[in-house]
Amino acid sequence: MSIVLTRIDSRLVHGQVLEAWVPYVNADCIVVANDEVAGASFQRMVMQAAVPSSIKLIIGTLEETANILSSADLLKKRVLLLFTCSKDALKACELGVSYAKLNLGNMHSSAGKDRYTCTIALDQHDIETLQQIEDQGVTVVSQCVPADWEQSWRKLIRSGGR
Amino acid sequence: MVVGDYLLAGLVAMLTGLDRVALVQIMISRPLVAAPLTGWVLGSPLVGLEVGMLLELLWLGRLPVGAAIPPDDTQVAVGATVMAISVGHMLNLSGMPMVILSVLIAIPLGKFGQVFDRLARHANDRLAVSGQNALLAGDTNGLERYHLFGLVSFALASLATAVVIVLVGSFVLYSVTPLLIGTLREAGLSLQYSLILVGAASLLGTINVNRSLSLFCAAFTGTMLVLWMR
Amino acid sequence: MKEIRLSWLTFLRMYLRSFLLQASWNFENLQNLGFFYLMLPGLRDIYGDEIPADVCQRHGTYFNTHPYFAPLVAGTTLRLESLSIAGAESAVDAETYKKMVMAPLAAMGDALFWGGVRPLAALVGLLIASQGSLWAPLVFLVLFNLPHLLFRGTGLILGYVQELRAIETIQKWHLPDLAIRLKESTTVLIGVLCAYLSFKGCEHQDLSAVWGFVLLPIVLLFAWLAHKGVTSLFLVLLTTGSLLLLALLF
Repeated sequence: MSIVLTRIDSRLVHGQVLEAWVPYVNADCIVVANDEVAGASFQRMVMQAAVPSSIKLIIGTLEETANILSSADLLKKRVLLLFTCSKDALKACELGVSYAKLNLGNMHSSAGKDRYTCTIALDQHDIETLQQIEDQGVTVVSQCVPADWEQSWRKLIRSGGR
Repeated sequence: MVVGDYLLAGLVAMLTGLDRVALVQIMISRPLVAAPLTGWVLGSPLVGLEVGMLLELLWLGRLPVGAAIPPDDTQVAVGATVMAISVGHMLNLSGMPMVILSVLIAIPLGKFGQVFDRLARHANDRLAVSGQNALLAGDTNGLERYHLFGLVSFALASLATAVVIVLVGSFVLYSVTPLLIGTLREAGLSLQYSLILVGAASLLGTINVNRSLSLFCAAFTGTMLVLWMR
Repeated sequence: MKEIRLSWLTFLRMYLRSFLLQASWNFENLQNLGFFYLMLPGLRDIYGDEIPADVCQRHGTYFNTHPYFAPLVAGTTLRLESLSIAGAESAVDAETYKKMVMAPLAAMGDALFWGGVRPLAALVGLLIASQGSLWAPLVFLVLFNLPHLLFRGTGLILGYVQELRAIETIQKWHLPDLAIRLKESTTVLIGVLCAYLSFKGCEHQDLSAVWGFVLLPIVLLFAWLAHKGVTSLFLVLLTTGSLLLLALLF
């Protein structure tokens, strides 16, 4: 198995992922690692409905997906791995999911978060978490769609939020 | 061209620009429609059609998904059509070389569109706050007003893009046409076809299908053979 | 309590309002005002002119989906609202429903309309335009908008009538697979268009049509470059530059 893209996207399965990233990285399997979605049957059904039958969709808690990713089930698959937040990405790291690069896609703004790009809003806690992920040897970059420039998150932080 | 023509073209720029995101989205914003429409109000729909053909495929694969802003091919189409017709009148030139030159100059200027579009959306950030406050105060009429006011920023952004493309573009076009027109006449038709082929290739490259390569090659070879045998 | 039903006039109003969904699109909350604006006629039917603060609160927040799918979401959301004030139980409440469906439905709409219907209609339009016919833009508009306008209306009614089960209905339509079929058809038409242009080009230069096949690998190379993220602007400049150079040399 190879993980061809690991991405934080608060919207999980949506157009940018299916229409832009899947063809770009040639993925044939999408893994959604999120504890809440794993338990919401209606939401799982909606997500399944959005994914073409040629692409395998796996939805599970962080632990379940970490197990699946380390098993032989996905041996020949090119996996696109999705988290909703930095916390989950770090936890997956700690559960033994290894990825070389983390793509920051959409991190939706909420109270107390500063906006760094049009699509990325972070608070102090996010920054610390991303720091920890980077300390594990992961390259953290921001790139909304393949047609955008890939940018190191450090540069982003230095340019300041608002 | 008289002042009235430019006003009409400005109106088309705003209407087609609004169609991109803010209003209706029946795709009069696609170059294949926007350019002939511009040409039609200026009295030369076929020039517009030629512009539209060159531009239609180039960014068709770029989806207006989420917050990603694709290049403004609508205003490039509108602007290039206006330029080709107006500068063409001034220099007493017409035909494909003028169209190609206008399109080539308008394409890089389309970058301004992304800037203005971004500004419009940020202007709407403020509207959204006002609208939300009105809503929380129970003032639904206020919400409707603020919401519809967003159309103004989008329309102005489109108009600004078109104006920049036409002003800067016409100046450049006017200066370089005498230099390049000879060479362009030589390369004219093959350049026209090649540019459409570039568009086709970039759409092919971004289309999300596994078998795209084999399907494309089969269709290409099949059509070639049929045309050849005839 | 008896459930309040919406009148056909309200549906018509919401259908028309759906065309203004993105009038105030913004980076902060995307379509939030637009979605409330779209639902307003229905909300007024349910709650009267004074819409309760908690309703305003939960439907004025962040919202973003494919514009053509928004009527479907609005239909179900309104039905869930009127069911809940009638005291009926539902597996998912209006607010949660909205949050859960918007992104996946957006993906479906992007694939179907932006990725599927639009390129196909554009290719048909271009093939007509290559004959110099001004019917091209009209044919394109009709081909694209028949499914578009139909889908907005069907979605609104379907969402309202079937509420949560509307998603099951949509699932049965296999729209993502349909989108792939449309994209495959587009690919074929791209092949036809390229071949036609290559043939015409050879004819014009008095070359044998065999030379047209030389263009096939070049188009494929460009497609690969585009796939790798090379911008169209660069490809255009590259092509123009090399052709002008050739014209100057020979």
